[in-house]
Parts: sequence; C-alpha cells; structure tokens
Amino acid sequence: MGRIVGIDLGTTNSLVAYIDAQTGQPKCIPGPSGSTLCPSVVSLDTDGGVIVGEPAQRRLLTQPERTIYSVKRLMGRGIDDVQAELKLFPFRIAPSSNNVIRVQLGEKVFTPPEISAFILRELRNWAESYFGEPVDRAVITVPAYFNDAQRQATKDAGKLAGIEVLRLVNEPTAAALAYGLHEKQRGTVAVYDLGGGTFDISVLKLISTGEGDIFQVLSTNGDTHLGGDDIDHLLQAFVHEQILQHDQIDFSPHGELAQELRKELIALKHKLSEVEKVSLRFPLPSGKVFQYEFTRGAFEALIRPVVDRTMAPVRQALADAQLDPKQIEEVVLVGGTTRTPLIRRTVQEYFDRKPHTELNPDEVVALGAAVQANILDRGVQNMLLLDVTPLSLGIETYGGAVAKIIPRNSTIPASAQELYTTGVDNQTGIDIHVLQGERELAKDCRSLARFTLRIPPAPAGLPRVEVKFLIDANGILQVGAKDVRTGEEHSIEVQPSYGLNDADIERMLEDSIEYAEQDFAERQLIEARTESESILAATAKALANPKAASLPETERAKVEQSVIALQEAVKGTDYKAIRRKIDELNHATEHLAEILMNTAVQAALQGKKVAEV
Amino acid sequence: MNAPIPISDAPLVCWSCHERTLGTHFCTSCGKIQQVPEHSDYFAMFGLPRKLWIEMGALDRKFLQLSWKLHPDNFVNATPEEREISLRQSSELNDAYRTLREPVARVEYLLAIEGARVEGKNKQQAPPELLEEVFELNESLDELREAKASGGDTAVLKQRLESAKKNFQDKLTELDGELQVVAKDWDKAVDANDQAQRKSVMAKLNELLNHRSYIRNLVVNVQKELL
Repeated sequence: MGRIVGIDLGTTNSLVAYIDAQTGQPKCIPGPSGSTLCPSVVSLDTDGGVIVGEPAQRRLLTQPERTIYSVKRLMGRGIDDVQAELKLFPFRIAPSSNNVIRVQLGEKVFTPPEISAFILRELRNWAESYFGEPVDRAVITVPAYFNDAQRQATKDAGKLAGIEVLRLVNEPTAAALAYGLHEKQRGTVAVYDLGGGTFDISVLKLISTGEGDIFQVLSTNGDTHLGGDDIDHLLQAFVHEQILQHDQIDFSPHGELAQELRKELIALKHKLSEVEKVSLRFPLPSGKVFQYEFTRGAFEALIRPVVDRTMAPVRQALADAQLDPKQIEEVVLVGGTTRTPLIRRTVQEYFDRKPHTELNPDEVVALGAAVQANILDRGVQNMLLLDVTPLSLGIETYGGAVAKIIPRNSTIPASAQELYTTGVDNQTGIDIHVLQGERELAKDCRSLARFTLRIPPAPAGLPRVEVKFLIDANGILQVGAKDVRTGEEHSIEVQPSYGLNDADIERMLEDSIEYAEQDFAERQLIEARTESESILAATAKALANPKAASLPETERAKVEQSVIALQEAVKGTDYKAIRRKIDELNHATEHLAEILMNTAVQAALQGKKVAEV
Repeated sequence: MNAPIPISDAPLVCWSCHERTLGTHFCTSCGKIQQVPEHSDYFAMFGLPRKLWIEMGALDRKFLQLSWKLHPDNFVNATPEEREISLRQSSELNDAYRTLREPVARVEYLLAIEGARVEGKNKQQAPPELLEEVFELNESLDELREAKASGGDTAVLKQRLESAKKNFQDKLTELDGELQVVAKDWDKAVDANDQAQRKSVMAKLNELLNHRSYIRNLVVNVQKELL
C-alpha cells in the first residue's frame, strides 16, 4: 500500500499535506515552484496535454478559452442552477449539458469531476515526488454545507484520479483538528470558514473521555456559493462601471482584458488587508490609463453585503446548537478571505472574543485533512471526529410536500426506515423521490435521486416494502430496500438527479487513461535518467578541466568506473538502480569537485584582487 | 425437550467465528464487531429498560463510549463485511441517541415499539376542549387569505392571529408538561409490572401525542400565513 495524504480541493487553491513522522505534526507539501498552493486552474494544451496550477493560471491571460478556474462552483450542479454564475464566470458550458454540466476547453468537453481529477492528480504527483513513494489513498475536504450531489461529485473526482478516497471531511472540522485545540481546550468552538467560493460555520464541542478526545460537531450551516469570488465580482463590477462612465469602454466579462483587470483587482484586494490605501493604474486599449484610489473604508463599504450574508448562517448554527455567542469559548478563522480586516472585526465583535488566526488560513484545512488521514490510518488512536449532516433528508409525499426523515445536524452515519405499500391492486411500482433541504415543498428542496420500488402484483395495501435511507460518514446517501414479508432484499437502481451514474464513471475512467500520465515508477525513471544525463555531462566536463590533472590516478580510475556503471544502469529501467549509481558517482567525484572548487575559489579571489588594484 | 424459544431469547452466534457470543456489540470469542440484533431497540442499544425517565449525563457518556468502538473510522482498514456492520451499528447508535435525547421523540418511539402508537383516525380532528378556539382560528385564517387576495387591510387580522398563535404555543408547552407527568406514571407501571395500568397509560400518552401533533400543525400553518 502506498502513502496516505490529506487534500484540500479548494475553489481558488488546492493543497496536499501529510504527517511528518519525526515531529508528528501535519505539513503541506510544496510543488515544483516551491509554493504549497496549487491554483485550482486547469488548461488544455493544443496537443491535448493537461496543464494544472501556476502554469495554467498564466494561461488564463493568454488562452482563456482553453482554461478554467473555480470549477468547484460547478460540482454536483445542473445547468439550471448555474445561470446566475454564468454571468460572472467565464465558464464555457457545452450545449450537451443538462443534469451534469459539461465544460468546453478548446475542442474537448469535460465534466467538473474530471477537471477536479486533473487537480487531484497534480497534487498526487507533488506528493509522490516529495516522498519518492507512490500515494494511493487520501482524505479530501469538502465545504460542510455541501449537499449529497456535491459530495458525490468530489468522491467521483477522487476515483477518476485513481485515488481511494478514505473519507470526505468537512473543511471547518478539519481546521479544528489542525489547530489541535483538544490539547489545551475543552468546551465549545466556532469555526468561521470563508474561502474563495464557499462559506461554512460549524459549532463543535471538545470532550475528553477515558479513551481520548472527541470532536463532536453540534451544528453546521453555510452557503456553498459565497466567498472571496463574490468580493472580486463586486470590485470588478465597480471598476467596470467607472471605466464605462469615464472612458466609454464596455468590458465583456469573458475577454482577456477583463481577466487582466481581475488579476490586478485581486492583488489590490490583498494589499488592502495590509495597508489603508491602494492606487489602481490600469492601461486601457485606447492608450489611456485608468486610475483610481481605493481606501480601505471605501472597500469595506463595497464588500459589506458579502460579510453581512455570512451572519445569518452564523446565527442559525448557534440557534441549532442552542448556544449564545457568549457561550462560545474559542473562535477559529479559516480561509484566505478571513484575512480581510472587516471580517476579522465583524467576527470578533459578534463573539466578543479574539479569534484564532495563528495558522496560515490557506493551509489549515489541508493540515487538518492530514490529521484525519493519520487517524484513519490508525497512526493516532485517541481522537475521534463525530460530524453531522448539514441538510435535512426528506421524501416527497402526496401533493408535493416533503416528509423529513433525517433532520439536519444529525450525527452521521444516520439512517431512517420507511415502510411503503401499494394504493391499487396489482400495482407493480412505487416511485420514491429523495430530497435534501429545509423547505416544506419538494419543488423548493434539492432533488437528490428518484427510484422505483419494483413490487410483485398483489392486492392493494398487502405488499410491505421497507426502505432504508442511510447517510454514511462522508455525508453521502445510500438506499436499500427489503420486502418485509419475505425478508428479500430489493436491488434498486438509484438515478442521481445531478451527477454521474456508474456507467458514466466507467466510461470516464477509460477515457482518462489518455490523460493519466505514466505511473509512479515510470515517472521516477524519467527523473532519474534526466538527473544522470546532467551529472554525466558535469563529470565529463570536470575531467577535461586542466586542473583535474592533479587528481591521483587511482581516484580518476574510480570516477571512470562509476561513470561506466551509471551509463549501464541508465540503459535499464530500474530507477532505484540508477539512483544508487548516481550516488556512487557523486561519492567518487567528491575529491575532484573539491580540487576544481578550490581552483575556482582561488581564481575568483585572484580576480577580485586584480579588480581592486 | 423441543420447547419453543422466543426469537428474542435466541442465542447470539458470531457471524465470523460462529461461536456463541455474550457481547451485544463485539464477539466475546473473536472480538469482531457484531450485527445489530434483529430484535434490538434503542433502549436495549444503551442497555436501558423501556422507561421514559433517562439520566441525560449517563446517556451522553454511554453514547460517546459506544461511538469510540463502533464508528466507521475504526474500520477503514478492516474487511468489507466489518466496514458494513460498523456503518449499520454506528448509524443505529446515532439514531438511538437522537431519538432518546428528545423527550417527545422518546415517548413516540416507546409507543411505536410497544405497538401502541395509533395516529388520530382523522388528523383534521381537533381535541374536543379546543374545538371552539380552533374554529375561530380557522375563520381568522380564511379572512386573512381573503384580505391578502383582495389587497385589503391585513394588519388587524395579523395581530389577532399572532395572539392566537401565542395561545396555541402556550398550549404546546402545557401539553409537554402533561406528557412528562404521564411519563412518570408509565415508569411506575413498569416498576410495578402492572399490565392494566401500562395499557391505560399508553392510551393516555398516545392521545397526548395526537393533540400535540394537531396543535403543532396549526401553529405551522399560522406561521406560514403570517410570513
């Protein structure tokens, strides 16, 4: 079995973390550029290759029609759900979209789980290069307020990336784990998590028992379409309006110019968290430069509606936990957007308590995912997480009403049994419509799935079918049915209302082979060969250096032997053997390198003296 | 010799090692997690008698103790069978805790497993002592709907409905108090093993629950119109 990691699959950035065996502390893994943040941006190259992260982000400006960001907003949603977003995001939705959105990237079409799978694969590559070992299992975080379809889509993304998803963990809960509050604290904690595209509030209770510490989530609430993106949109709309008035230039939100401006405005937003005043200078196609000075006060007035929108879920979560703000003993801020001073102030005033901000708000969720991954892998046995389902589960009843069978904030796993019978003689099917949400009418709730119970013909009211609805520890629904009289299990084909069915997933798995880069050993081989090439070239160059003449003959022979051994190893496919020969050669050339280094230093020193004279 | 054994007294046999087991959650022979017994109920899950007074602190402690053992997090690397059983056991545990924690849900559940829960024959039937008030309330609701439809003045009607709503909410609180009193009678009847008394207490509890759900529906309906 390979390594296990924790992944934060974010709207704006994604991260991968693990538990450092020496310190026992979670740590984020850096990518090739040294940053631990992988921008959640995916771009399709003209040769069909997939580009993820920073290089893809650069292509937002040069190849916007082949590049997508914020795809998390589309996860588990249908075309009707995203009409409002389409006005704000440059998503190119393919005409074939209906209950699963399909996004056009260049000449190809992908579903949101497939695009998310590209991001997950990239993170797995980061981790594998870092460990030098394969990674095959992960804990992935999701917004606490994600519904069943959004969770299922995230799980599908893991499957498409070839990762076994051990658990979906709610982001605020993960953050609480990362803070390790259980080590010094008992009592109630509120986690306020405002990310790029989602908002969550969770209220937890920390309990110590004889067996260890329990994190019990009491309630959760939120908005899966509220975040830093909304602040960006307010800024964009404001500046577009200014430019339209002063310079009569109308920005299409899809164009390259708008992307360039968006990038500038995000940088400006970040600066306004540090300083009181920032000037925007933006060159227009007309040759003029648009200038505007933002003060923090004006910025805060502009974004106040976004901050206010987070407070209704906060109040609801506290009411559901039957707590007053005063009864909360610790407050934790999570998500890059909580760097905004207005948000920090608002939360601090509401709870009358200084919130925790010690951990990097961008990394804290991934760190928590690594902690949970370690718990599941039995690395830690004295911590337990009890989470809840954010939304009530219901069944459509007569007249389009909804009968709630599992209330929101129930600890998961949770289940409910319902007994059904027929209304007319020889009826052979009963249609069941499963919904999620708090409203009373089916049309106002989120449709999760429909299925038909198949019944052998019998007089009306005689059949007895018991249907068991179960929400698992990932917050995902499972349905089973049993004939009460015969005890026979019914198999049911559940058609998800929004999302991929098993056949879709199978087909995508086959398609994804095209994109799945070489497996781990193959990539290691390529890396080892590349490294061999450069070290062989460097050795040849060093041996040819006149100063190398002072190297004793026995040592020169040793170096030449090692060179031949490495050249032989490179012809094979065993990356470990190549690595060993690289190490041998490195060892053999130590003295040679020293000689050359000394001459180089002398040369440099002499050169310096010459210059000084 | 071949006397029948009630199914609820059948010996438990471990699904994995096929030995007899005395434990309710784990096999006393091989330690494997066990299926939820066919005839188990929420009270049995917590090792409680079928009584309505429950000490909440003890219930909370038992819930956490069982969560440690049964939660799917403990079975991530176990066999698919064990994972499935853990999922069933821990969802059953959570369902039981959710039900027993709430006094009204607890009464409702007790009546259901005792086979004594009978919902009102006609759900639209008001408790007799409330008939007059319900009649007035419905009239006010109709008037409000008419006023809304014709764009008439709704302020006075809304005020009248607000006070009616408050009145019925008070009735709910009253009923909950009554429910607790009768719940004590139930526990006494169980202690005395008085079958006749048990039956009459259950009928009383059932009636109270029906009244309660009727009034709750009323309050919800009024709330909808007032929004």
